[in-house]
Amino acid sequence: MRRKRHVQNGFKKLFALLFIAANATVVLGSSHREAPLIANDPLADNTDLYAFRSPDNPNTVTLIANYIPAELPGGGPNYNSFGTNIRYEVHIDNNTATAGDDIIYRFLFTKSNEDPTTFFNIRLGKQNLLTKYTCQRSIDGGVTFQTIVAAGVVPPPNIGPRSISGAAGLNTADYNTLITNSIATATSGEKIYCGPADDPFFVDLGGIFDLGDAPRQNSQIRDGLGRYNVHSICIQADISILQKDKKPVSQAANILDGSYVIGVWASASRPATRTLNSLGNPPADAGNWIQVSRLGMPLTNEAVVPIGRKDLWNALTPYQDLTNIATFGNYFYNPELALYMDDSQFGGAVPAFKGLRIQSKSLGAYDFRNGKNGLYGLKGNVALKGSALDDAIFGTLLLPAAGQPRSVDLWPIFHTGVPNLAPYQLATGKNFNPLAAGKPFINNFLPNGGDMLRLNMAVPVTSRTDANFSSEGLLAAAVLGLTNPAYNKNADLQFIPNMDGFPNGRRLEDDVTRIELQAVGGVVLAAIGLWFDDYNATDLLQSPVTNNLVNNLQYSTGVEKNDATFKTSFPYVATPWRGTSVN
Amino acid sequence: MTRKILTAALSALLLVGSYKSNASSHREAPLIADDPLADNTDLYAFRSPDNPNKINLIACYVPLQLAHGGPNYYSFGESIRYEIHIDNNIATAGDDIIYRFTFTKTNEDPTTFFNIRLGKQNQKETYKLELSKNGGSTFTTVVANGIVPPNNIGPRSIGSGAGLNTPDYNTLVNNAITTATTGERVFCGPSDDPFFVDLAGIFDLGDAPRTTAGSGTSKDGLKYMNVSTIALQIDISALQKTGKNVTQAANILDPEFVIGVWASASRQQVRTLNSNGTESYSGNWIQVSRLGMPLTNEAVIPIGKKDLWNALTPYQDLANLSTFGTYFYKPELALYMDNTFFGGAVPALAPLRVQRNSLQSFGFGNDQNGLFGLKGNAALNGTALSEANFGGLLLPAANSPRSVDLWPIFHTGVPNLKPYQLATGKAGNPLAEGKPFISNFLPNGGDMLRLNMAVPTTPRNDPKFSTLGLVNAAVLGLTDPLYNGNSNIQFIPNMDGFPNGRRLEDDVTTIELQAVGGVVLAAIGLWYDDYTAGGANPVTPNLLSVLTYNAGITKNDTTLKAAFPYVQAPWSGTGPASGIPVTYTQPAILSPTATTLGLVSPLFYMTTFPNPFSTTNTIKYRLDGTAHITIRLLDAKGSMMAKLIDVTQPAGIYSVTWNPGLINTGVYYIEAKRDGAYRQVIKVIKTNQ
Repeated sequence: MRRKRHVQNGFKKLFALLFIAANATVVLGSSHREAPLIANDPLADNTDLYAFRSPDNPNTVTLIANYIPAELPGGGPNYNSFGTNIRYEVHIDNNTATAGDDIIYRFLFTKSNEDPTTFFNIRLGKQNLLTKYTCQRSIDGGVTFQTIVAAGVVPPPNIGPRSISGAAGLNTADYNTLITNSIATATSGEKIYCGPADDPFFVDLGGIFDLGDAPRQNSQIRDGLGRYNVHSICIQADISILQKDKKPVSQAANILDGSYVIGVWASASRPATRTLNSLGNPPADAGNWIQVSRLGMPLTNEAVVPIGRKDLWNALTPYQDLTNIATFGNYFYNPELALYMDDSQFGGAVPAFKGLRIQSKSLGAYDFRNGKNGLYGLKGNVALKGSALDDAIFGTLLLPAAGQPRSVDLWPIFHTGVPNLAPYQLATGKNFNPLAAGKPFINNFLPNGGDMLRLNMAVPVTSRTDANFSSEGLLAAAVLGLTNPAYNKNADLQFIPNMDGFPNGRRLEDDVTRIELQAVGGVVLAAIGLWFDDYNATDLLQSPVTNNLVNNLQYSTGVEKNDATFKTSFPYVATPWRGTSVN
Repeated sequence: MTRKILTAALSALLLVGSYKSNASSHREAPLIADDPLADNTDLYAFRSPDNPNKINLIACYVPLQLAHGGPNYYSFGESIRYEIHIDNNIATAGDDIIYRFTFTKTNEDPTTFFNIRLGKQNQKETYKLELSKNGGSTFTTVVANGIVPPNNIGPRSIGSGAGLNTPDYNTLVNNAITTATTGERVFCGPSDDPFFVDLAGIFDLGDAPRTTAGSGTSKDGLKYMNVSTIALQIDISALQKTGKNVTQAANILDPEFVIGVWASASRQQVRTLNSNGTESYSGNWIQVSRLGMPLTNEAVIPIGKKDLWNALTPYQDLANLSTFGTYFYKPELALYMDNTFFGGAVPALAPLRVQRNSLQSFGFGNDQNGLFGLKGNAALNGTALSEANFGGLLLPAANSPRSVDLWPIFHTGVPNLKPYQLATGKAGNPLAEGKPFISNFLPNGGDMLRLNMAVPTTPRNDPKFSTLGLVNAAVLGLTDPLYNGNSNIQFIPNMDGFPNGRRLEDDVTTIELQAVGGVVLAAIGLWYDDYTAGGANPVTPNLLSVLTYNAGITKNDTTLKAAFPYVQAPWSGTGPASGIPVTYTQPAILSPTATTLGLVSPLFYMTTFPNPFSTTNTIKYRLDGTAHITIRLLDAKGSMMAKLIDVTQPAGIYSVTWNPGLINTGVYYIEAKRDGAYRQVIKVIKTNQ
């Protein structure tokens, strides 16, 4: 009877299941050792970036930038920490009317030895390589900076019970006390933490980079980052600090208010020249600061940009992405990963991706395989009028040329975000026409053309204990919005759980590897009504929830959550693994 | 037991040289810890068990490589000089032989993010090996285009047709072994890290073996980790200073066959980062890492001097004795083996207690004088400690107690000269002659691994083979009737072990900690405090405690190969090294849905396609029972443009294809009624071609 009711409701949703998401994304594996040069400079290597509204403090947004991949907790005697002479920066664009960054948080670290006579890191209350930091903030695009934390403290590495708790060590009852004590409040109001943490990312690195074997077909699936640490920079800022007009979240017009979108990216820079000194004296660094690593969306430089361009990508800012679109655009328009989800290419060579098969004849007409035209045939068509694909709106960006099929899904989610505009709405109410208006569920549009994590700060928070909370992020919101009676009755704007999830920002829990692989597999296209090949548009009674779609929705790399439990309050990242506790 | 045997037994285990620390040289100094590609981890030098005319020199770099550390896996760096240096002649200044390796990377397919795909390899590495035999003045290329095997990424990348299609990773290793124009066999590539140590325990304030509640048992911190290995197999005649073959050795301790070996990494002085994601290098080459004896810079040199130590060559060590000497004369580790200092604070090292009152005369605590009181004494005549011999080096000053054991084993090696002989035959006088068992003396004053190449090899399957190296040879030489019958020169198993060179199997951490604990002093008759001079049995509880001590991890986590390059194949990126197991059951992949009609039957249901349309459009509808159906085309304002269907029909599925003719492009509606009741409206769009 469900179908009957749907029919009587005006075909609002014929199919159950939908899942759909609005935009798309790509790839797998965050950004650990992702480019040749930066892989050799671990201290300056961005690993992951997160941006989410704080679940326990929803007037604030938390930004977390992680650096230094795969730190071995027992990696003594000189444990990893932030490097000196590196600018670690978290950048925010909140206004496309102003060029470049609107807010920059810059962190600079210094190290000192409290007892240079020992080879131990901690001994008798003294700590060597003791790391402190200065946090500077610019709110004028980097022209001037103000110091907002003058002498922040980085907790020591979590070496072991003797070093942390023993009387011969720091005599501290609990490592978490060191973390709590090192949380600073900036003069401008932000809470700041810089220090070691469990790597919150989770991925089967070994499987995926063995030619895409995720989930592994013939060997044990493993979380390749399990039991490793990173160094985290965590900022918790009131939404009014980040919003372009300094508005608190209470002034948002609605939960998708477009003026509450921020774009976030992180970077690391080093002085242009490093001169090694004799006698082991520290190198002399001089010259302009050169960006050596950056990170916005997860996995861009890990599995979208090919090896020949990775180092260049790391050197550019997001604001240079548009001028370099001739170089990088095609990696999104025709992503390498899509070759492995396409039986006319190398689909047969990657059995793990068998559940992911890109549309080659969606609705009998549209082909999204690499090199095909996707929706380009509609270019200039009156059918696009009023939609985001209209040349008068964003069609010149979203339908740039023939042979660039993923310009409508993968490219924008990395470079512009997605407006609350047809076709980027849930199928609810679309009545077979993917170009029609549907139920809103995302608005993180900030069309500066650069790779960033884009968060609409007005979207409410999903409680981490909510039964509907899902690591599938916006994909889960789409499924709920299409199938759950609490959300699928009408096309009204309504909060759906996980609308605050990736790719609307990124929560620590979000399984971005899975989401991005599903997206490359075409799930977003399906979400807006461009169904998979096994849906026969001429069979009016067939549900579009076809087996191909089910296969995509069920796809998983097998590693779906972190190996440690996140804290329920700032800085949220889990306590770093203790050297003596792992191996 | 006769008294003689007893005496032997005790002196047994003892040894000659000493050393210290724990944990090789991974991330051992602040600066180099941040430059992993140039970070020496370990150095080995041993006579080949399967080819005794050859010496193997193995230098490992790039610590703690995750086997699954993709997509850009670890390897040797470009723009780095990796060098293995040999000093074989004290009469010539500096190195006599230098092997220099430089690496180049290329991408065979820059369009993929995978490292290996379809037979192509990215970051593919080749190397040039240059050899200098004149102290570095000139170099000759002896391997022009050596191949570094790819990383052992996993079976798909290595074995499958989508990858390299190689049946077995070891084939790649074997194919990469090359022979230099000068005859050396050479291998450069990834391997298992042959070192083993409880890094986490030791660096948690010396907790090795682990004793602290909540710390669990000792764990090999290098388990499953790979390194980048340079391995050379060289004929002894190519290393011996006058080109002699080993068969020409005067005896198994012929001092003419001693070599000192050290390894280094250097970078050009100026690195310039460019704005396009490239970097360039210029300027003089600056040494950024070095390694001779294991653990020197890890656990002997304190943090404030580690970077300096890495920048010096061994030939500068003597000139810097005033800076570094004290770390050997009075090592930090000894503070934790001495109740006068912090012995009580490091329970794991409780079995090790340095002599503070040996023979009720000599104290070797960090605040004591050791043997300095004998300086110039006639009792030293004819020994290595006499001023006429090496007393100037070995007894430099008061309050330098370990100048007689720890310092020389790192900086000069040990001559076959009293007191550096086994207690066998010493009759209670440590300064007397005993049974020879080591001669690796090359007194250039620099930190090196010193190997006497004339010493025969111990088969790895010999029941007497031991990871305690020379310590074990000493025990055998004093206690085994095969060797303790006289004080003649005789091969004792494990005389080819550390610190006479270093074999891959040697447990240098345990050996060095025992040595800091004074076992070498005891070996030459300077017994532990609980022995009363003249007493019957010097094998006291203190000595047994030292001899039974180990650091918790005593062997590598995998096997070694029986032939060159001996190091084991690197851990696979998809093997047990690749992370924490996760339970997941992959759902069955469903076949594409076959198009069938649904079972649920609404009264009426219509669809239209394509939409948008240009030339023709098809309307398809299903009817549940006999009814009158009207379908009209309306324009955007709702005005009827055409009546497409107007007929009474029985139940069934119908379709009609119609041609829009010349209507304008734009929005239209298709409206359906069943028996006059409004049922469905679909918005359609007419487009141009």
